[in-house]
Amino acid sequence: MSHLKAAASRTLQLALVLWAVVTILFLMFRLMPGNPLAAYIDPTFTVEQQEALMAQFGLDRPLWEQYFIYLGNLLQGELGQSFRYREPVAERILALLPNTLVLTFSSLIIAYAFGILAGAYLAWRRGSAVEQAAIPLVLTTRAMPEFWLGMVLLAIFSFWLGWFPAGGTRSAGAEFDSLFALYTSGEFLTYLALPALTLAIYSQGLPLLLMRSNMLDVMKEDFVTMARIKGLSNWTVVVRHAARNALLPVMTSFAIAVGYQLQGNVVVESVFSWPGLGRELVNAVSASDYPLAQGAFLMIALVVILMNLVADMLYTLLDPRVGHA
Amino acid sequence: MTETFLSVRDLKVSYRVGRGSLDAVDGVSFDVPRGSIVGLVGESGCGKTTVARALTRVMADNAFISGGRMLFDGRDLAALSERDMNALRWREIAFIPQSAMNSLDPVYTVEYQLNEVLRLRGGLGRAQARKRCEELFEMVGIEVGRLRDYPHQFSGGMRQRVAIALALALNPKLVIADEPVTALDVIVQRQILDQLRDLQRQLGISVILVTHDISVVAYICDRTVVMYAGHVAEQGTMEATLTQPSHPYSMGLRNAFPDLQGAASGVLTPIEGAPPSLADPPPGCRFAPRCPFSIEVCASVTPPQVEVEPGHFAACHRAGEAPALRERARHVSTWMAEA
Ligand SMILES: Nc1ncnc2c1ncn2[C@@H]1O[C@H](COP(=O)(O)OP(=O)(O)OP(=O)(O)O)[C@@H](O)[C@H]1O
Ligand code: SF4
Ligand SMILES: [Mg+2]
Repeated sequence: MSHLKAAASRTLQLALVLWAVVTILFLMFRLMPGNPLAAYIDPTFTVEQQEALMAQFGLDRPLWEQYFIYLGNLLQGELGQSFRYREPVAERILALLPNTLVLTFSSLIIAYAFGILAGAYLAWRRGSAVEQAAIPLVLTTRAMPEFWLGMVLLAIFSFWLGWFPAGGTRSAGAEFDSLFALYTSGEFLTYLALPALTLAIYSQGLPLLLMRSNMLDVMKEDFVTMARIKGLSNWTVVVRHAARNALLPVMTSFAIAVGYQLQGNVVVESVFSWPGLGRELVNAVSASDYPLAQGAFLMIALVVILMNLVADMLYTLLDPRVGHA
Repeated sequence: MTETFLSVRDLKVSYRVGRGSLDAVDGVSFDVPRGSIVGLVGESGCGKTTVARALTRVMADNAFISGGRMLFDGRDLAALSERDMNALRWREIAFIPQSAMNSLDPVYTVEYQLNEVLRLRGGLGRAQARKRCEELFEMVGIEVGRLRDYPHQFSGGMRQRVAIALALALNPKLVIADEPVTALDVIVQRQILDQLRDLQRQLGISVILVTHDISVVAYICDRTVVMYAGHVAEQGTMEATLTQPSHPYSMGLRNAFPDLQGAASGVLTPIEGAPPSLADPPPGCRFAPRCPFSIEVCASVTPPQVEVEPGHFAACHRAGEAPALRERARHVSTWMAEA
């Protein structure tokens, strides 16, 4: 019962957050100075033509009416037309979203797998020379700007060594029957490697440091001491008990990190000409393509909110104490 | 007397602190006869847990055994290799902690944690382990159906029973219980102690029961070891040490606790003052600053262990006058005058 209630109140919360995001986006693009259609309207248009256009986009109506039309459209998945591409925003975004998700998840999975193992190892080897050398190194990777890291990797592995292509998701002219065929092709991996590596290096610090500090805390817990008094092997103590418990908050941070990463993607997608949502967002904003920018923002917000929900569910799944009490 | 099977001699355990070290246990000797319950009692900080953990050789990172022997069935635990020591852990020496809540892993079921020792330490197969889990739960009086529950789903008393079941899993010879009932209310305390005593008799194991509560000793122990500031002040049979305490500290301790049976034994009189710093212990008798009976020699000469009766020792210069001191110690005013 309390389970259901918790889920319901959580869903309601998310709906409220989503509504707030949607409203802020609406106001942001409506209240910006200048004519929102400036980019769309050809200077040769007559005043009548301009007004006809304003009417077509509903921009001649009062703000509150526009707001409800906008909400109504959103509910039907209608995001409007891109000014630049003259095609539905929803289509454009759905075409780019998979690229962004593949990049985000592959880089984060690498970052978390590495960070969790290395963090646990460093906690276990606390005070050793390895740990003392590793911590400043990790802090350095955290401090490196993404675009700089991306450029360095590009310079070394693409321009100099020529191991990987410099950008995009496929060679010119390559055709694939489906996204699935593209993503599972060996060629795609060579395109994915550098941007994913850049993001992974940039992101591994958080799980690594989090895992390490959690491990250090958990190692002080009575149940870890008890595991030693039981004579269990070092591996059992460190992995099954200490690491398993230290993992809980790290796994939750994964879901949250997906949201952050979507913002981080903006830079990396631009450096590597990765046709994703982040790069599109930047382009749309600089080209004053408001419907597209709005749609991209909305999609990113949606993923962030969903990942928060996933974080919650992960916790319930991994920690038996949650939801039972 | 029955055969001694654990014999601690001049045990010294130190903690590294800063540049120096502190001797939390400084020359402790006591015996545990086979099949008996020995109570290790004393104020907070006197070194009880340090002794208990030294026996498992799983100690704080900054702790080390700096002297003495712990003869367990003829082997010196202090001298065993880590490998040989680990072979004894849980199979022969098990541990019941104060807070079963914190000492059970929150993310695994109780069954998982029982299975872990049964299979990894006891070498049992899946089916045997399953049977043993049920047997253990029946032994400590918990429904078998609750094996699949997580630690947080049990009440405090139940968790302590789970901890007992865990300790008994591999039929150990020695169970060390560190304040096993301290966190519980008196009624539950009594139930758990009854259970511990029944199982101990039934299985013929030996128990070291660490407690700061003299009434717990009175309720369940066969022998008492009274510790004060890293030393043993007095030891002997439970009856002798409690009815004829021969060390002024034990006399005071007896006045300071209510009876677990509920019978009010007069006014509770705490011992004024605090134990000395272990980093810089005073010369002579460590109890001297708080002792209402201290004499000149007490402040400079460490008192020897005096055998007041066969098997009953008190580390006090005035142990010979114990009956007279006991009489005086009954009066509240004796303890108030000090401090
Ligand atoms: N890790 C440590 N580092 C330094 N000193 C310690 C450490 N652990 C314990 N001590 C000190 O050693 C002394 C004995 O501690 P111990 O825990 O053995 O006492 P105790 O009799 O079990 O007390 P309590 O009833 O509070 O559990 C205390 O003075 C304590 O401050
Ligand atoms: S030796 Fe002296 S100070 Fe110490 S307990 Fe005996 S009488 Fe008191
Ligand atoms: Mg203690």
